[in-house]
Amino acid sequence: MEEKLLTIGQAAEYLGISLNTLRRWDESGKLVAIKKDSGTHRYYREQDLEIFASDLMKFASEWIEDDAPFPGTFYCATSSIFNARLTKMEYALMQKPGFEKLYSLITLITGEIGDNSFAHNLGKWPDTAGIFFGYDLDKRIVVLADRGLGILETLRRVRPGLPSHVAAVEVAFTEFISGRAPEKRGNGLKLVREVVTDQPFDLFYTSGDAEVRMKGSNKIFSVTRGQRTLRGCLAKIEF
Amino acid sequence: MKLQLEKFGKTLISRELGSEALKAFQPTLSELSKDEEVEIDFSGVLTLSPSWADEFLSPLLNQLEGKLVLLASDNLSVHATLKILQEVNKRPFNIKS
Repeated sequence: MEEKLLTIGQAAEYLGISLNTLRRWDESGKLVAIKKDSGTHRYYREQDLEIFASDLMKFASEWIEDDAPFPGTFYCATSSIFNARLTKMEYALMQKPGFEKLYSLITLITGEIGDNSFAHNLGKWPDTAGIFFGYDLDKRIVVLADRGLGILETLRRVRPGLPSHVAAVEVAFTEFISGRAPEKRGNGLKLVREVVTDQPFDLFYTSGDAEVRMKGSNKIFSVTRGQRTLRGCLAKIEF
Repeated sequence: MKLQLEKFGKTLISRELGSEALKAFQPTLSELSKDEEVEIDFSGVLTLSPSWADEFLSPLLNQLEGKLVLLASDNLSVHATLKILQEVNKRPFNIKS
């Protein structure tokens, strides 16, 4: 039986992006369309779209680096959309064998990182408001990203002497301080560090040129300077 | 009085909603008699984050001090959150097992 093909309109709806983006991606080779009998109409296999949409880190990095479009299903424009999707992830995790108890800690660290993006950029988003939030429970990965001010600029409001992205990320993960001080205390990222240290989770977190990599069984928290300087924040949680 | 925290939701994550929850609870709080305890029951809550709890439980701890009683929970996020809030507030919660 011949596999059912989606039209470009159906594919655009499936991925939550515009027809023009799909045409550009076809021309650039990023997501090549099928053309029947050498015609001009573009078609897509649903399975190909599914595979294409599964590279969460690629979409998130390209978005915060180049403002590249990504499937709309990963976009949370507001905190309430994020909370609704997080609840959906939490429910799916609870059903996953082996995660009957751990689900709440994965939801907690995902929630803290995502909520941090909204809390610290409220009314100050440099361009696109909102966050990227994607997860694949089969691959056991959660990716979050924002095009916000980043940790250094946020914390410099209360610590003007912070010299670098590395110093700022170090403070964010280890000290009780908040960019929204004095009215709010930041403690979310400290708990993220503690939970990742104690549990079988890996974390990659970057803001500016600072990087945190906590991986494997002997996790030691350290912030290093990476090769790239990214705006906002990008986080990958693996479990 | 006993407060079922799940009445505010099962997934308690954002600062914003924690702050809203406290505002909604204030009228009930003002009706308490002088020595009445407030027992917080976490059963039914799936995830509790420090951001939400810092907006709700930290002010209650400051206001009620020893009269704020937390009922023990086996939820891992509740454990982790209470532990860090005690560090932040530099005072222990009154936890009843």
